[in-house]
Amino acid sequence: MKFRGKITDIACLNHFTRVVTTISKLTKTCVLRLTPDHLFFILPGKVTNGGVGMWCQLLQANFFQEYQMEGVTSEVQEICLEVSPEPWSRALKTVQSAKSVKLKLTRKHCACVTVAAELPTLSSVGRVVTHDVPVDVIPRRLWQEFQEAGVPDFDVSVYLPPLKTMKSVVDRMKNLSNFLVMEANLNGDMNLKIQTDLVSVTTHFKDLGNPAWGVDSSQDGGPSQSRDPEVMAEVTVDIRKLQQFLMGQQVNPSKALCNIVHQNVVHLVLLHEDVSLQYFIPAVA
Amino acid sequence: MNCVIERNSVKALGKAIHALSRIGNELWLDPMAKGLALRSVNAAHSAYGCFLFSPMFFKQYSLESGSKQGSKAIKCKLVMKSVLPLFRCLTSIERSVERCHISVSTATDRVIIQFFCRHGIIKTHNIHFQESEALQAVFDSHLCPNVLKAPARLLADMVVHFPLFQEEITLSITPLKVTVRNYQQGGKGPMKTTYTEMSLHPNEFDYFQIGLDSDITFCLKELRGILSFAESRSLPVSVYLDAAGKPVCFSVEDVVLEATVLLATVTDSDSRDHSQPTESLTPKISRCVSSPAQPVAVSQGPGSRSCTVPDELIPSSQRSHVISCPGATRLPDIRESTCLSVDSQEWTSSASSPASTKVCSLLFNALSSQQDEDGCAAQLPVLACYSDEENTDDNHPRSPSL
Repeated sequence: MKFRGKITDIACLNHFTRVVTTISKLTKTCVLRLTPDHLFFILPGKVTNGGVGMWCQLLQANFFQEYQMEGVTSEVQEICLEVSPEPWSRALKTVQSAKSVKLKLTRKHCACVTVAAELPTLSSVGRVVTHDVPVDVIPRRLWQEFQEAGVPDFDVSVYLPPLKTMKSVVDRMKNLSNFLVMEANLNGDMNLKIQTDLVSVTTHFKDLGNPAWGVDSSQDGGPSQSRDPEVMAEVTVDIRKLQQFLMGQQVNPSKALCNIVHQNVVHLVLLHEDVSLQYFIPAVA
Repeated sequence: MNCVIERNSVKALGKAIHALSRIGNELWLDPMAKGLALRSVNAAHSAYGCFLFSPMFFKQYSLESGSKQGSKAIKCKLVMKSVLPLFRCLTSIERSVERCHISVSTATDRVIIQFFCRHGIIKTHNIHFQESEALQAVFDSHLCPNVLKAPARLLADMVVHFPLFQEEITLSITPLKVTVRNYQQGGKGPMKTTYTEMSLHPNEFDYFQIGLDSDITFCLKELRGILSFAESRSLPVSVYLDAAGKPVCFSVEDVVLEATVLLATVTDSDSRDHSQPTESLTPKISRCVSSPAQPVAVSQGPGSRSCTVPDELIPSSQRSHVISCPGATRLPDIRESTCLSVDSQEWTSSASSPASTKVCSLLFNALSSQQDEDGCAAQLPVLACYSDEENTDDNHPRSPSL
């Protein structure tokens, strides 16, 4: 099992750092799955997380100038590690001016991912910083949990309003209630609603647009033709989970959309040219 | 004591107080002819900071209290928590404070700090003080075999890689390389901690003198304050270090001020060994008014540190309860649990001095009967003591104070 990736481009380093920082704000630990072409940061939606799931996919070629890996066996070209993204984020943030940053799977007192940076200096010998971040290798028998969940059979798919706007709305609503209702319809309308004994507040977003999944949809998940475009699909979620998703966003997505399975789950999807982030928030029981 | 500080200097004073607040919970004010010294020490006596502002720093500086003519300048001790909030927001101080008056009123036992702000606003703070003997540490930097000097920026760049919660770091120097790495105490599972190491070449330092390859471990948190102060004034920092176990000195100076932080270091830095035993007890600490005191010699200036450095170490002091004693709490054979209490003034001295790790007790020689009397001054790790100015002793060599 081997992994070695090197970033020498400042923009790539910056982008990678922001992705890792976003992940670190969403979850304390997650699974890193490495394949020859991709890196995946995965949080399987388990009861222990409150049912929240995350799937973040990076195309390695867009970040690393050098990338080599060897999987657990010669047939299985994959590595799965349990990692804590926060030390990575901290380590990467302080080396933004580095000439190069290498990520390597190493074994010190335990399995580690070593972040090694070469920092620019006026002298002939560079400064070197290494951070050995402990990780856990995940045995193959547990790997089936970390397969892509796939797009759920949603009722409505709608583009999200600007995340900053959503965040400020949700932040205010959090002061009033623990539960928030997200609803949207095929007319491009979305509402965020809270209701308490004293007050109910609704924020309306209009003309958001609905993504056309069409034949690309992997399942029979396309919006059914017979669905009334005015009818809202709604999910009641724990507001803190939505807030956590919105708080962590460091990468401005080129596309942000949301799939709603009525009374079941909200599937948030952020797409960037080389990164896709999916976040599942289950309905509150 | 009575002094007036102009607006730009108020910020410097505030930064000094911030730096000292990282060290201890009490602030000693010592007005002297050579300037006003602000000092602090941590509860475990393993860190000491001193900021000496020369009279040139002030717009006006006078040792006499306004009301009583001819009265001696009072040395006082303040609670840091009372003083720090006054200087908490340095940017707003910079914007609005035009000058600051500090005076000591012995009649009411108060230090009076007045901020004269824009728009005619005057904020007056009366802070209770306790009269106290001067707090001083004695340290001879001339005897340190290793001396480094670098802009504050360089040192800041070295420590930036360590998270804010990192308590201690190990600095290793050889003629070819200078390395800092985090110090991991035993007890935490290896899974938990990230190991960080940063190295650079000695030629990055403005001045690099190495007499002895050394590996010292000290508290990073206490250092950050003076680094931040030095960076704010773009001053170079001098580092005086010796073998593990001897204290390390970080010092900054310019025309109007001198700042020094002395930190105890862990001896025998087998720093990855989880069983870091520590000699965890200190002799009884007492005010040495009645005992032969180290005289307080007036330091003539930065160059005049000239006393012998102690060769042996007092059995270590406890780290403060904020900073856990390396290994001490984890030693199965630690005898008394009372020794870990920093509130207790009664520490029994340990008879044995194992070769295992000890934290050098930096300060406060216990000149009590428990002291080894045949130890001469050079033997005693006398780094500081409380002393009255008038007490001098011909048997003991004069030692400079910081």
